[in-house]
Amino acid sequence: MAESPGTTPGPGTFARAWAKAVSGTSYLPMTQAQLESLLDRLTGELAGALLTEPFDLRAGHRVGAELVAAHIASAEGLGRTVEVIQLRLVRDLGLVAEDVEDRMARLLAAVATGYARALRDRTLDEQESIRRAAMRARTQAERALRASEARFRHQATHDPLTGLPNRTLFTERLAAAINEPGRGAQRVGVCFLDLDRFKVVNDTLGHQIGDLLLATVAERLSKAIGEHLVARLGGDEFVILVERTAGTDDMVAVAEAALAAVRTPALVDGHELQISASIGIVERQVAGANPTDLMRAADSTLHWAKSAGGARWALYDAERNQRELARYALSAAIPAALERGEFYLDYQPLTSLRDGSLVGVEALVRWRHPELGVLRPDSFIGLAEETGLIVQLGGWVLAEACREAEAWSAGGAAAPFVSVNLAVRQVHRPGLVQEVRTLLRQTGLPPERLQLEITESTMMSTAKEPVRALRVLADLGVRIAIDDFGTGYSNLAYLRDLPVTELKVAGEFVAGLRSSSVGRTDERILASLVSLAHALDLTVTAEGVETAGQAERLRAIGCDAAQGWHFGRPAPADRILARIR
Amino acid sequence: MQRPDWAPDTIDIERPSVARMYDYYLGGSHNFAADRAAAQAMVAAVPEAPLMAQANRAFLRRAVHHLAEAGIRQFLDIGSGIPTVGNVHEIAQQLDPRSRVVYVDVDPVAVAHSREILAGNERATVVQEDLRHPEAILAHPDVRKLLDLSQPVAVMVVAVLHFVSDDDRPADLLRTLRDALAPGSYLVLSQASDDGRSEDERAEAERVYRRTDSPLWVRSRAELTALFDGFELLDPGVVWVPQWRPDTPESAEDAERAVFMGGVGRLGG
Repeated sequence: MAESPGTTPGPGTFARAWAKAVSGTSYLPMTQAQLESLLDRLTGELAGALLTEPFDLRAGHRVGAELVAAHIASAEGLGRTVEVIQLRLVRDLGLVAEDVEDRMARLLAAVATGYARALRDRTLDEQESIRRAAMRARTQAERALRASEARFRHQATHDPLTGLPNRTLFTERLAAAINEPGRGAQRVGVCFLDLDRFKVVNDTLGHQIGDLLLATVAERLSKAIGEHLVARLGGDEFVILVERTAGTDDMVAVAEAALAAVRTPALVDGHELQISASIGIVERQVAGANPTDLMRAADSTLHWAKSAGGARWALYDAERNQRELARYALSAAIPAALERGEFYLDYQPLTSLRDGSLVGVEALVRWRHPELGVLRPDSFIGLAEETGLIVQLGGWVLAEACREAEAWSAGGAAAPFVSVNLAVRQVHRPGLVQEVRTLLRQTGLPPERLQLEITESTMMSTAKEPVRALRVLADLGVRIAIDDFGTGYSNLAYLRDLPVTELKVAGEFVAGLRSSSVGRTDERILASLVSLAHALDLTVTAEGVETAGQAERLRAIGCDAAQGWHFGRPAPADRILARIR
Repeated sequence: MQRPDWAPDTIDIERPSVARMYDYYLGGSHNFAADRAAAQAMVAAVPEAPLMAQANRAFLRRAVHHLAEAGIRQFLDIGSGIPTVGNVHEIAQQLDPRSRVVYVDVDPVAVAHSREILAGNERATVVQEDLRHPEAILAHPDVRKLLDLSQPVAVMVVAVLHFVSDDDRPADLLRTLRDALAPGSYLVLSQASDDGRSEDERAEAERVYRRTDSPLWVRSRAELTALFDGFELLDPGVVWVPQWRPDTPESAEDAERAVFMGGVGRLGG
């Protein structure tokens, strides 16, 4: 083997041609000069391999692998490399060997083999590495997702102000406690807690202080009742879930701990706040319970605690609840009953103690209930007053009484007046004067034959309007009586301002006239009331007179008139009228 | 329950990633079937796509080399993608091992991959952020730890701005970055340009990229030049990337086939 210098271009020329051939086949992270220098070195290796005895395949493998390592690592890179070696290597370098064609074929095969092996390894490595990266990224994303879901779940189930579980979580836990299989025989309980007069804190110190107070209360509740779920339902309403109780005593203990926690004065932003709470307790067997009814019961019970004055717990009482529900249902049925004409009036005589004549009658409303039979006012008036339906019902009573009373004058000369009870709400209504005026005009009833009975509590409010209205009515000639006198506020000042005609003395003073020991005191009170009334130019009617003895003593005291079973029970108008005809 | 904004995305390798498509153009195997299918569709529409990627990568190499020689030792590479051959830290740390490099990419797989490659390199790191949130990038603790913004930094926004729509106000994004840089800092910018392209080619390329998470927004030379607002453009200005300080005169031939335009600007003062 020999070379012939001077007639051949040389290795540099070949390396440059090779560099040009592979340029652009893949990204080469080097300058053209760096590439040429690399290929120049590999050219030397190839030339050596062609000439060395014995022929060594490993040189070709090495060149192929080096190309891949230098990122000349694409199918095109290999193709062009094979092409340029085949076409130019021998010629450019002026290589001479006997079996050069044979050796060239074996060299190219070795380069291609080394190249393909290296590229395959590299491809597999890269695939592995990108898969690993994807897996790691996915693991991280899933971890982040779980963390964010946990965070989101926490946000969705907790109250941001106090950090306590919110209504959602409480409802879930209550439902779970009730629906858990096999728990039917066990017991569950809730304490529904509401701060007393919390609105006052908000109104006087501002919502910011109110919020801080709520947070303080929340913290104390969770500290005091840590083992149970304490949730904030909203506003100043909290609830404690006792998932397992042995009976009401357990719940009472929890409620008292909660009340004690709230009762301790709280220092909030420099204000020492003394606050209390009310709690409604429901404790029952799991079997047959459902969350909605349980919470409704707790709510009603909380209101019992509130209406009893607050700062206490109340225990749910199914019978009481039943009674209230029935009472509520009854009151709700009043408007429809009015339309159907289920109400009617009975009248009770007011008898003169001087001559036994019938001076007046008190109208008493009755409800002929289609299922419950005839109902007395005490079973429906109270709630009608609370709900405001009393205005509608009272209006009907007043109108009906005027209508019936007008007819009585046809019977004889001295027809009795009709006395009608007015509820507080009726007296405070702006339209009262107009209503009475219209009624008198429509029925033709003389004003002096209408008496309006109001209670002392009606006059307790400081409003001027009711006084003015009553004065207008009195000026029309309508009689004004104070009902149940002596049992209420008994502020005598209003007797000075009010155009009162008559005092109706409560039956309990009269009841005392039966026994001689207590009776002495009651008799003195009655005597004083009578003389006071007479001094003010008022007449006095005693209520609840049941015996002839009582009637006798009242007459002796100087009482003007009396009402009660002794003188006649409430009865329909025609039966009362029969007495005066 | 509706998932809130801050809930992270899941990783879906069935969906092409522009970072892995780019790796495919460069001849790498850090890609999945979906990436290759999308890249092949791109090549069918724009046959020069691999050339574009290679030319852009070569531009990056030359620019980093130039800046390292000019004394820059801090690099912030936003939209760094899959750390394939010829990374910024390899080029910069070859010249000075103390050079510090922070890579930023929005693709979680690219970030995970970069993290693996950079393991053990104390002067290079990667953070997962979006070019569209430059404040978050600048405030990122890893960026703050590795880069001293009171000293010059080279900010690389290479082959990524065409994924930022005009609605995202690229000029504002670059201004935010610029305002955080010390005088003597550099901006290296390149992106796909439609100078001299037919409407059809452009529409086809945009169609391909609509299948990825990153639709394509090509921009003209004038638009790109305007994005260097506040920087002094180094010669030869904004050009087709092969024309930017080529190694050899031949390598700048047919430069517009590279589709990418780019330039390097210096923050004066």
